[in-house]
Amino acid sequence: MTHAQLTALLPVILLAGTAVALLLVQAITRSHRVTAGVTLAGLAAALVAVTRALPQGATPVTALLTIDRFALLYTGLLALIGIGLTLLSFLYLAGRTRLTGAYYILFTLALAGGAVLASSAHFAAFFLGLEMISVSLFALAAYRRDDPAGIEAGMKYLVLAGVATAVLLFGAALLYARYGTMAFAALGTAIAPGAGDPLTLAGIALVVAGIGFKLTLAPFHLWAPDVYEGAPAPVTGFIATISKAAVFALLLRLFTQVHLREHPALFAIFATLAIASIFAGNLLGLRQMNLKRVLAYSSVANMGYLLIAFLAGGPAGAIAATFYLTAYLPALLGIFTLLTALSGRERDADAIADYAGLAWRRPVLAAAFTVLLLSLAGIPLTGGFIGKFYVALTGVSAALAGSPAFWALVGALVVGSVIGLYYYLRIVLAFFQRTPAGEEPAAITRRVPDAAAIVLTLSTLAVLWLGVLPGNTLTLISLLVEEWFR
Amino acid sequence: MYSLIWLVPIVPFAGFLLLAFAGRYLPRRAVAIIGPGAVGLSAAVMLLISGQFLAAPPAGYAYEQTLWSWIATGGLEVGFTLYLDPLSVVMGCVITVVGFLIHVYATAYMAEDEGYSKFFAYMNLFVGAMLLLVLGQNLLVLYLGWEGVGLCSYLLIGFWYKKPENGAAAMKAFIVTRIGDVALLIGLFLLVVQFGTLDIPAILAAAPGAWAVGAPAAVAAALLLLGGAVGKSAQLPLQTWLPDAMAGPTPVSALIHAATMVTAGVYLIARLHALFALAPGALLLVGIIGAATLLLAAFSALAQHDLKRILAYSTISQLGYMFLALGVGAWTAALFHFMTHAFFKALLFLGAGAIIHSLRDEQNIFRMGGLRRRLPAVYWTFLAGALALAAAPLITAGFYSKDLILFAAWVSPVGNRWLWGAGLLGAFLTALYTFRMVFLVFHGPERTAPHGRPGPAMTVPLMILALLSLLGGFVETPADLGGVHLFSSFLGHALPGLAAHGSPALEAALQLLSTVAVLGGIALAYQLYLRRREATARWLARPAPDAARRLLLAGWGFDWLYDRLFVRPFVWLATVNKDDSVDAFFRGLARASLLLHGALSRAQTGNLRWYAVGFALGVMALLAIVVFR
Repeated sequence: MTHAQLTALLPVILLAGTAVALLLVQAITRSHRVTAGVTLAGLAAALVAVTRALPQGATPVTALLTIDRFALLYTGLLALIGIGLTLLSFLYLAGRTRLTGAYYILFTLALAGGAVLASSAHFAAFFLGLEMISVSLFALAAYRRDDPAGIEAGMKYLVLAGVATAVLLFGAALLYARYGTMAFAALGTAIAPGAGDPLTLAGIALVVAGIGFKLTLAPFHLWAPDVYEGAPAPVTGFIATISKAAVFALLLRLFTQVHLREHPALFAIFATLAIASIFAGNLLGLRQMNLKRVLAYSSVANMGYLLIAFLAGGPAGAIAATFYLTAYLPALLGIFTLLTALSGRERDADAIADYAGLAWRRPVLAAAFTVLLLSLAGIPLTGGFIGKFYVALTGVSAALAGSPAFWALVGALVVGSVIGLYYYLRIVLAFFQRTPAGEEPAAITRRVPDAAAIVLTLSTLAVLWLGVLPGNTLTLISLLVEEWFR
Repeated sequence: MYSLIWLVPIVPFAGFLLLAFAGRYLPRRAVAIIGPGAVGLSAAVMLLISGQFLAAPPAGYAYEQTLWSWIATGGLEVGFTLYLDPLSVVMGCVITVVGFLIHVYATAYMAEDEGYSKFFAYMNLFVGAMLLLVLGQNLLVLYLGWEGVGLCSYLLIGFWYKKPENGAAAMKAFIVTRIGDVALLIGLFLLVVQFGTLDIPAILAAAPGAWAVGAPAAVAAALLLLGGAVGKSAQLPLQTWLPDAMAGPTPVSALIHAATMVTAGVYLIARLHALFALAPGALLLVGIIGAATLLLAAFSALAQHDLKRILAYSTISQLGYMFLALGVGAWTAALFHFMTHAFFKALLFLGAGAIIHSLRDEQNIFRMGGLRRRLPAVYWTFLAGALALAAAPLITAGFYSKDLILFAAWVSPVGNRWLWGAGLLGAFLTALYTFRMVFLVFHGPERTAPHGRPGPAMTVPLMILALLSLLGGFVETPADLGGVHLFSSFLGHALPGLAAHGSPALEAALQLLSTVAVLGGIALAYQLYLRRREATARWLARPAPDAARRLLLAGWGFDWLYDRLFVRPFVWLATVNKDDSVDAFFRGLARASLLLHGALSRAQTGNLRWYAVGFALGVMALLAIVVFR
């Protein structure tokens, strides 16, 4: 292994190494603080390693991984969100369970899986990364053994993710049977652009189904609300942010190398998934009274919007999608921070009714929560708006460039956003309910710990910053992403 | 020195911010210092700058200060730029000085009001916006000020918001002027499209080259701008809001609805005079609107019994004189009348406020009388204002400014005898209704006893304004009465002078005629309302005069007409259209969304077997697309 390869791989090594270190630490002390501290240190070190690796260009590390700027960008993003989620996990676990060591090991392993996904260049690495995430998440979702809902969520995720992985593997096997390779680049040269035979297309379609499961694209979204609801709040946060961002990075990379996106059949598949997700997500959320389930449906819809940018392709599509995720992740992180901070021992504060009167009792929290929700809804002055704007822009440019099908996608985006606004604003409306003194929901009276306040402040500021001054971030993203298209 | 010009609008804005956010924590005394103080400071800076402008004028008699770049897009660059030239110097001085006096007066007038700091916050905001309007170098800054003063007008008319009719009056003022504002905005768009800039000097310089005289685009632009001016200055056909605007506190009426905001239309036309010079038809229309408005409003003023409504109709009428002057191309005469009118009409309103105050909110002049002895300071100052309004010859400012307009209407190449005749008849009517008011309020037997006398905070501004009303006219006198031309030569650097000059003999003859009209009006008022009051009342009780009186009282029934022409059809349409098809579409969308929500929710059974089946079905669907596509 050369020095360059080592530098490039260092973030992944550090993440995996943190998991190992945590195992060893458990032998010495089971202190929650020490465990969480080691985790944070590992993630911070990985973040530093990312910045050190950035200056060098794309570096192939074995046949499995290609660590380029795109991969590092996503790894850095995942590590940042991971740091926030670690703090949340610390707050959540403290006082709820004494067995904390395994949690952080699984958490770090899942994060390492995400980093592998973001840089994989081979179906084997893809599978490895995916399973690192999935297997860790089964256990994490069911981590509170005293909570039947958590156990149920873990079980559902285990079975369904197993099905999805099987389908994905079968798709990869079909491709291997047809071309004799599982490396993305080799597949890309072997498959003539736009001309796929049924075997290839079926293989890709099965892979897409597996990816669709992870991204909760309709009709593979059925599991999402149940798992979101049952899993502990920080784990739900992990499923909603890190696992999706990593899988989406893989999707972008795979289809940038394998030129099948424009094939009519695959285009139809992706367009169907996008439109179905946008409508299913937004419609299902309408009357939902559980905040976690609302977030599940919201993520279904948001992944549908993201697919539009993905379908448009080219640098503009990749930049739009990456910016969209960059704005989407802190918004979700902030919401899960609030959810975690205001949750009680017995159950998470995941009913919308738990937030009734928040604006009167805790105006600052209500303001931050509103900003985050409005960003998910894509209202101006938030990063969500800029993200949605760029997604719509790429869709419209693609439509004008000669693919009229994009008009339908952009239309779905517009109509879906309008429908979705209803349930976001319904939550904001609950903040302004008047509750008689002494009968407020317990959640809104709880103290927000300092760590949560910091995470919440930073993520809210990030959302606003991306909404008001998106220029710097856009420039940075386009610098990092354009490497692919040179 | 000129570089301090930004302070002039900023200081009142700062006062507004301070009072709006900290006002309720401040003691009244502090509010009474901050409110007038901000405007006083602004006036001081404005006067200093004006002094330098007179002593050592900047190159080309114009000074520009760009505070920052406001809009910079590909085709259009707009700076936040202030502009100082003789026109804005005159406007700025009058606004700040009269505004300051009215603020001082209001500290006493509003002393017992619970919204004390709110009142001064709005007033400061108004002064700031009005200064932006007149100091703006481009039409966007002007428009910002234009809308700002409209907003303040709305807020202050409805200041005593607990009475629903005050709110209705505020709404009416806002909506009616808004009709004109829309025309103005379209006019601005037209200018942007034509010239690619909003800078007023650039537009004025480019217009004569781009448009021939009478070109359709020039006429359209001038008419649209006129629409805005007509709304803001309460001219026909949008004059109906001003009498109702008297629902606001009296200092508001004096500042906004007499001295400053309502003259914004006059300012706009004067500022963009080159456009109107290219559209002779539109310019003639300005004159006709002015003449018709001044007569209609003067007649209406004759029949009013509410002291403030008399003054409101009088304001409409005097603004008509200014429009008449603009219509005959006598730009400086219009501005001259603006200045003197600001002095004497602010004075009259403040005097009326003092009367109403001491009579415990009595506004009906038929229940007043004999106040001459009980309120001497108010009487003498009010008399000075009344003489100026009636244009009593030689000794009042109103005489010199009105005389200049009448003379211009006669001699101007674009004027005519009809316009002059309307002005002369208006002068007679003005004298008549003014002294009807003076005789009924101050002379004759006492009907309502006043409570106390106004203090110095009210009387000192009255006296200063009375002096200005009497002496302010000597900066511009006709050729046969000294021939002082300070005002017109100063403004001549910004506005073109009148093309024609008449002989001094003609001028003297016209003055004699208007003197006869004015004195005749005063004499008739004396006969009708002091000597033979009972006979007048009996005559007015007869059917025919009574019907005419009622028509005039209702302002010629414009409200009635508009109610039937516009309001009721609109309300009817809105009622009919309540359940329209557009709404049905959206309701249908909502219902369909809920139905689909219900259907999709069935899939969320929570049942693992079903979820696995769902996943399999999804995979089969994808494969079907591959196979059948």
